[in-house]
Amino acid sequence: MTPPPALPRRRLLRGALYGAAAAAAAPALSACGSVVGSSAVTGGLQFWNLFAGTDGGLMKKMLTQVERRVPELRATSTVLEWGASYYTKLAMSSAGGRPPDLAVMHVSRLAGYAPGGLLDPWDMDTLAEFGIRAEDLNPDALKRGHYDGRPYALPLDTHPLVVYFDREAMDKAGLLDGDGRLVPFDSPEDYLDAAQQLRAVKGKMGPVYGHVRDPAANWRLFWTLFAQTGAEFDISRKPARIDRAAAVRVVRLMHRMMSPECGSMDGASAIGAFANGSSPMIFTGEWDITAFREVEGLDLGASPFPTLLGRPAAWADSHTFVLPHRDDPDPERRRDAHRLVAELFKASFTWAEAGHIPGYLPVVRSRAYGKLSPQSDYAKSAETPALDPPAWFFGAGTDVQSQMSQALQSALGGGTSADETVDRMTDAVEFSLGKPNPA
Amino acid sequence: MNAVRSAGRPTDRRVPARRPGGSGPLFAAPFLVFFVLFLVVPLLWGLWLSFTDSSLTGRGDAAFAGLGNYTEALTDSRMWESIGNTVVFTLLSTVPLVLFALVMALLVHTGLPGQWLWRLSFFAPYLVPSAVVWQVGVLLYQPDSGMLNTLLQSAGLDAIAWLDDEKYAMWSVVLITVWWTVGFNFLLYLAALQAVPEHLYEAAAIDGAGAWRRLWSITLPQLHRTTALIGVLQILASLKVFDQIFLLTKGGPNGATRPVLEYIYDTGFTGYRLGYAAAMSYVFFALLLVLSVGQFKLFARKEV
Repeated sequence: MTPPPALPRRRLLRGALYGAAAAAAAPALSACGSVVGSSAVTGGLQFWNLFAGTDGGLMKKMLTQVERRVPELRATSTVLEWGASYYTKLAMSSAGGRPPDLAVMHVSRLAGYAPGGLLDPWDMDTLAEFGIRAEDLNPDALKRGHYDGRPYALPLDTHPLVVYFDREAMDKAGLLDGDGRLVPFDSPEDYLDAAQQLRAVKGKMGPVYGHVRDPAANWRLFWTLFAQTGAEFDISRKPARIDRAAAVRVVRLMHRMMSPECGSMDGASAIGAFANGSSPMIFTGEWDITAFREVEGLDLGASPFPTLLGRPAAWADSHTFVLPHRDDPDPERRRDAHRLVAELFKASFTWAEAGHIPGYLPVVRSRAYGKLSPQSDYAKSAETPALDPPAWFFGAGTDVQSQMSQALQSALGGGTSADETVDRMTDAVEFSLGKPNPA
Repeated sequence: MNAVRSAGRPTDRRVPARRPGGSGPLFAAPFLVFFVLFLVVPLLWGLWLSFTDSSLTGRGDAAFAGLGNYTEALTDSRMWESIGNTVVFTLLSTVPLVLFALVMALLVHTGLPGQWLWRLSFFAPYLVPSAVVWQVGVLLYQPDSGMLNTLLQSAGLDAIAWLDDEKYAMWSVVLITVWWTVGFNFLLYLAALQAVPEHLYEAAAIDGAGAWRRLWSITLPQLHRTTALIGVLQILASLKVFDQIFLLTKGGPNGATRPVLEYIYDTGFTGYRLGYAAAMSYVFFALLLVLSVGQFKLFARKEV
């Protein structure tokens, strides 16, 4: 090969240098841009959330409503994928000193965030100026959002495990009362008999629950039933104190509830089975309402998770608003963040359309919400939420929750005994209890 | 390469002032910058982290922990379980990935009709990204409506929880990994086969050697170097398995498929314990180093 002429090579190098200079200048230019943007003060409050799909659409709608009502309030929302990675990103942004002005977080994760100084507390006085008082918010979720006596997380909603059903099929089976509500079950046996009866309808499945290969579904069902027993499940200090007999009893009941048709059913199959009419009843999160509401010919009913083991309770979590920590927050932006949240609370009737039970009580008590069917039929769930046990290693999207779900998976598939399953679950908790809190 | 080297030579009249190799560092600079920035610095930074109790949450008081993380790692049963899983995966996957590749290459080389179709279908899966492999896995292994269970059930057999039963999960992951990556080894073998001198076969044919004799006495010995190369590459690739397992099973059920890299990831990125995760990385790194040295010695001896 002949050597190329030197000049083009030098020109090439020069070109590369120019290119590098341009690349170096680009952040500076964009930084300029953001200075211009922030000079409007209210311009572009950074709002991180984890709402995709219908939830995402409704959140966008709420933000538009707020902007229309308060034109000087502007928010740029960034939607990130829900799950473990969301919390990793949130923690890293705070740790790196460039957090968003406002973020959404599951209340179950607070114990791993607030104590480490990753969040700043809300100023309830500022919030009151914009029309939101503490007593306007769901007390259970709000209380759980406190750390060290101060409010760190304000509940946008409570999202419990509920049951959806086909009114027509359930009515035929005699499982609805005069008002179209699910009849109460006196005991687990009572429920299992009813399920058997539903299964006996020719060509139909009984109640369904999708849980296979899901990091949380099994835990949600377990926690619902365990909370109904009222037994002890204290994982706030080592050694954990977990009522073993109650846990074993719950796992056995879960196994019987899932058998035979749901032992290996995943979320999509369960939703499909209910939506296409082959199952008359599905246990699932209320957020799945959007999958069912549009189904033609389905008279959709809903109810809180039935009380099978003593007292009413259902697993629930809560989407909350949090202020990621800043060393030196701009008071104007902070104030705007308070105002934005206050306005979002007031707009949260829209949020109820996604199935969630608003944390802002005036909406829940409103006549319009009462007429929102079937959402209002399970709204009582928010009064008896079984929130995840408070521990830094626990909550939505954590490794421990996923390990417990996997342990339960084996039991529901018939692979392991209830005793062995409870041992594995306890082991998962004990393992993390022995570790230092990284927050 | 040539052009670059000769351009810098003093005999090149157009750049008389340059000393030999004068522009070399300049050309190497971009690579060196990236090498230092994204490999050397993180390597040293990670080593430092492994001696602290640093957290991903960046709390200010990360303290020096001495060898604390290392002693914890050495006694962490979960880390050893996950290393065990990685080793099992490596053993289960390497053997078929070498053997199948060889058999496929031999079949194609000996002249199956429709060569392009075989080459394409053997190699094509390798081009697919791991996210697509995950999708294929879902279609295949879905408990209720997956292809494998549909087949089983139509044959009157019971469905299997491919990814959710501890007995089958690792095998299922291995199966799809073999499908996915065997094409690369196949290609290496095919290239090596084409490089085997034709006259060896002719000579053997004249001596009356049959097909088996030619395979055992000519083809396989000629492929020895390639087999060694594939073996090394494959073991390294399998030891760093992460993506398909993370996507297919998230390490489940009950940690039965969780490889050590996922455990390190879980510890560091969902558990926020950066210091401890770094220490585990270095423990694994040390194990790999021992293994590589051993492997190197083994092959070096064979070459002599």
